[in-house]
Amino acid sequence: MRPLEGIRVADFTWVWAGPFCTLQLAHLGAEVIRIESAARPCVTRLLPPWPDGQPGINRSGYFNQYNQGKYSIALDLKHPDAVTVAKDLVRHCDVVCENFASGVMERLGLGYSELRSVRPDIIMISMSGYGATGPEKEYVSYGPAQVPLSGLSSLTGYPGFPPMHVGISYGDPTAGLHAAFAVLAALWHREETGEGQFIDLSQWETTIAVIPEAVIEYAWHGTQPERNGNRDPLMAPHGIFRCAGEQRWVAIAVRDDEEWVKLARVMGREDLAEHPTLRHQAGRREAIESIEQAIESWTIQRSPREVTALLQAEGIPAFPCYDSRDIAEDEHLRSEGFFVELEHPEVGRKLHLGIPWKMEGTPCEVSRPAPLLGEHTDQVLRDILGYDAARIEALRRGGVLR
Amino acid sequence: MKRDAALNGLKIVECGGLVSAAYASKLFADLGAEVIKVEPPWGDPARLRGPFPGKSPDLNASGLFIYLNCNKRGVTADLATAEGQELLQALVRDADMLIHNVSPNRVRHLGLEYEGLARANPRLVEVSVTPFGLRGPHRTYEASDLTLWAAGGLAYLNGAGPGSDDLPPLKPFGLQAEFQGALNAAVAGLGALFARRKTGVGQHVVVSIQQCVASILELTFEYYPYMGLIASRLGQKPIQPLDFFECRDGWIFVCCVEEHQWHSLVELMGNPDWAQLEIFADRLSRARNWDALKLLIQEWMATQSVAELYHAGQSRRIPLAPVSTMGDLLNSDHLRARGFFATIEQPGAGRTTFPGAPYQLSATPWKLRRPAPKLGEHNQQVIEAMGRGTPWSFAASATEATR
Repeated sequence: MRPLEGIRVADFTWVWAGPFCTLQLAHLGAEVIRIESAARPCVTRLLPPWPDGQPGINRSGYFNQYNQGKYSIALDLKHPDAVTVAKDLVRHCDVVCENFASGVMERLGLGYSELRSVRPDIIMISMSGYGATGPEKEYVSYGPAQVPLSGLSSLTGYPGFPPMHVGISYGDPTAGLHAAFAVLAALWHREETGEGQFIDLSQWETTIAVIPEAVIEYAWHGTQPERNGNRDPLMAPHGIFRCAGEQRWVAIAVRDDEEWVKLARVMGREDLAEHPTLRHQAGRREAIESIEQAIESWTIQRSPREVTALLQAEGIPAFPCYDSRDIAEDEHLRSEGFFVELEHPEVGRKLHLGIPWKMEGTPCEVSRPAPLLGEHTDQVLRDILGYDAARIEALRRGGVLR
Repeated sequence: MKRDAALNGLKIVECGGLVSAAYASKLFADLGAEVIKVEPPWGDPARLRGPFPGKSPDLNASGLFIYLNCNKRGVTADLATAEGQELLQALVRDADMLIHNVSPNRVRHLGLEYEGLARANPRLVEVSVTPFGLRGPHRTYEASDLTLWAAGGLAYLNGAGPGSDDLPPLKPFGLQAEFQGALNAAVAGLGALFARRKTGVGQHVVVSIQQCVASILELTFEYYPYMGLIASRLGQKPIQPLDFFECRDGWIFVCCVEEHQWHSLVELMGNPDWAQLEIFADRLSRARNWDALKLLIQEWMATQSVAELYHAGQSRRIPLAPVSTMGDLLNSDHLRARGFFATIEQPGAGRTTFPGAPYQLSATPWKLRRPAPKLGEHNQQVIEAMGRGTPWSFAASATEATR
């Protein structure tokens, strides 16, 4: 008995932000039905990685990671008859999620007012780049551009270097999680009152939501934090240091004066541990360059794991900079039961990342791999919408179900 | 029944330091849940992080703390004492949820173990936001936002690219690993409350921030199981342009994923001859010859203004984005028209402006109802509401947060 058992979601999402929202709902046990089309496949179905480098609409690791546990029907929404089918589906759903550019659903005839007329208590979330209102609502938004747009890039970078990225389209999952919470809250309200609603989410805004310190500093003082690499305003030293080997690094964060003394002693630097001006964070910040050099001259002779073990033994936060192989082979993550390996018809058993939390009472797990495009078309039309075989056949002949 | 807030009626107790529990309970509070935050007598470390409106740190005027804790009431209790634990138990006895991010190494010491609390209140959902979870060998590891960003595999993906590999992997600004933990905790916590509608009982939910970070590796993680390749910050981008350029008054990010976007950009740049070169013919070859192309584009960009270019590009459907500064955000016509930034009159700090509604719910809007609590502000009020006649003493004069 999973938390959202019995909740059905019509999933019109694509790329990453939207699918990441519906992935959370699937993790919680909702029946998430993706509406897709070979005429305009989800971008991630067309992107690598593919097993053996062989592309295929069902073979992308990107798609297969973020669509685990969902169902898929093939429906070409450019076809007027498809819109009727989509509305029939919505009639049987509790939630509709979409992340097209603002206005696309309305133009398809699937806007909130339209869907509300077929299902009065529907909860619909639109997660566009800019939101459903405002002078820039029609602007084009791509994941990589959200990081600079949000302000995160102007704050991120090495001292004296240009603005930098995050390494992923960070706005997408941040929007996806905010969206999942908003949908759950709206469902909660519907349980209490029977009332559905429309949710307007702007990915730009949900990304600003996670950089409050910088926004507030500007609002008060008209300045913003300087780009400062891996350093921290309160903790020193605080950084990522080179270790022995090719591109091996370790992250170390010294939270207080006591930990600094312990770190210096582990490094065999009694002189630093005893140094009076370094006893306090302010003094260490003054001397940060030479402290960082001292640390790196010690870490460079050791593996990230050795440094981590030595510092954790003293209770100092340290951890290797994991790459994807380190994660895949990590004993700890395996014993946490984090990974998912299910048989997929086209890629076989591939390692995927699972659910980052555990529910002790009503365990949640990924019970099915990502769907093939249109894998459940007939099943959904027959079992949920009640279409007979002749009607399904007619739709297929008419090019609606592709 | 008419309700104007989605989560009205839910009672939540939060024992949070910094972000990963506090932002989760903020999401609940902003949609109408009643949240009581329990801090140690010396305060949540977020009270020391700032920014501050004046020159010096002030426990009751930290910007980060205010943002994370508006709409909550605050009490102080030292959970390492019997008296503190007694108060916590009294608060939790009729709560729907307890959410905390206390280190797993200190949970027992502070009386936060689920079994004991659930005996008194079987309907309680307890959400423990942890660095590494509670099962595997790293469960007792100490952690900070930076080490968790590294542990989740994200640090490895960002930073200086080819030719600058002497610079370390780079973390993003702020406390992003904690925010990811908070978002997952909010989703899982509300999920567990849905489960309670079916089962009638609460449960223990354990969030691993390391796993939350690993969950957002985009397509990079799957390169390893699918192709045996390891993504890093040193690889060439597969397509270009996807890069930063310096204009005469700031930075802009140029993002041309589709060929038609590139053609529109070339047009916007006045159709320079070099754009016709074979080596720049498609997005893959532009990536292969990026060093040369970047210089040519940069030369033109240097004469442009960010805002003009942004709007001119967008009117041609090129997904350009300004590299917004905080000033750009606070002055954005679009964000202003949407009423995104919120302002509260915060006692002790004055008018404070911060990011507002992260989503607009048509029937039950996000709402700012009260400022963040001063340290221990509601001690008296909360005890009286609980019908205990004996206020306990609290000291709000600490200078240093301890863990």
